[in-house]
Amino acid sequence: MASYLEILDDDQGHELSLFCVPKHYEEDLDSVIIPNGLIKDRTERLARDIVRDMGGHHIVALCVLKGGYKFFADLMDYIKALNQNSDKSVPLTVDFIRLKSYSNDQSTNCVKVIGGDEFLLVKRTPRSSGYRPDYIGFEVPDKFLVGYALDYNEYFRDLSHICILSDRAKEKYKV
Amino acid sequence: MTDRLVGCVQKEEGLVIPDDWPGYNLELFNYPEHYRGDIESVLIPHGVIMNRIECLARDILEEIGHHTLMVLCVLKGGYKFCSDLVDSIKSQSRSTNRQLTTRVEFIRLKSYLNDRSTEDLHIIGPEDLSIFKGKNVLIVEAIVDTGKTMKALLQHVKMFQPKAVKVAGLLVKRIPKGSETLPDYVGFVIPNRFVVGYALDYNEYFRDLNHICVISETGKQKYKV
Repeated sequence: MASYLEILDDDQGHELSLFCVPKHYEEDLDSVIIPNGLIKDRTERLARDIVRDMGGHHIVALCVLKGGYKFFADLMDYIKALNQNSDKSVPLTVDFIRLKSYSNDQSTNCVKVIGGDEFLLVKRTPRSSGYRPDYIGFEVPDKFLVGYALDYNEYFRDLSHICILSDRAKEKYKV
Repeated sequence: MTDRLVGCVQKEEGLVIPDDWPGYNLELFNYPEHYRGDIESVLIPHGVIMNRIECLARDILEEIGHHTLMVLCVLKGGYKFCSDLVDSIKSQSRSTNRQLTTRVEFIRLKSYLNDRSTEDLHIIGPEDLSIFKGKNVLIVEAIVDTGKTMKALLQHVKMFQPKAVKVAGLLVKRIPKGSETLPDYVGFVIPNRFVVGYALDYNEYFRDLNHICVISETGKQKYKV
């Protein structure tokens, strides 16, 4: 069973003023739910677990664009660092696929997950298909999250922390 | 709670970590193998410390980051916080095209034995801090609990007639007879537990752990003096 960092349903997140957030998003966010530093630290550990489990076999990393690109980049960096610093190293090649399944904030029903068994965020939702990845960064409440390359209609990908989107912003950036 | 003046700008007091928060499971993070079993939980992961430092640096730069900033680092516990804070101040200053010279001086204090704060305070460091005269000074401390150290340092520094003295404390402990004065810049407000990591030690151990953690009973016994 994959271990994960659980973000509770009633977690309000941290005040925006405690972190550095791009000025153009200050009015659009309710709180910071996962700071960028915490994401990096968790990812560092995932990288270690993955390399350990791959047992020296060649890894093909498939990045699910666009939401996955930051996680993918950071995860690859950590795997590469491990490769450079230890006696054992694992060859790594990369590839990219693109998926679209969200319109505004509703997940449409057809999501195809091809390859890519590791995820940064797994949502606890009644609509879940029951699929559990092998490596999980965080388990999060069923709220709409943005930041760290996760978007709302293409906005917020340039935010480094994962935050809760305000209702006001959902209207503001609606398609 | 002291009354606050109406219209007074209340500075945010830092990221508050509640007393009943158990911390994160250590196994979700990377940590040095030699500390396995010695740590109860991770209170503040290294990455979150860095994010919070970025924010403090931004505020410091805006308020006192003009021309020259003298930084007084309280060793040994303060060394990582000071290093990362000054790096962030300098990096942000470079991107705003501001001309800022930072200079760091070091002072050493010894007041803990095992996990207890002792009465005597030894200040070891440069005798002559006259370079502080007429300048903005930032005292950088890793942890404030009774506030004794902070008070003693403020008194010491003021003797050299700086223009202004501010204090940056990464961690402020919530204790019953806590410090009446808070640092000007606070990273996190934490429960009254003995924490280690990010240069904070337990009898010199744990300085090489990059997350701030709560030590376990096993750890306390193992590294006892």
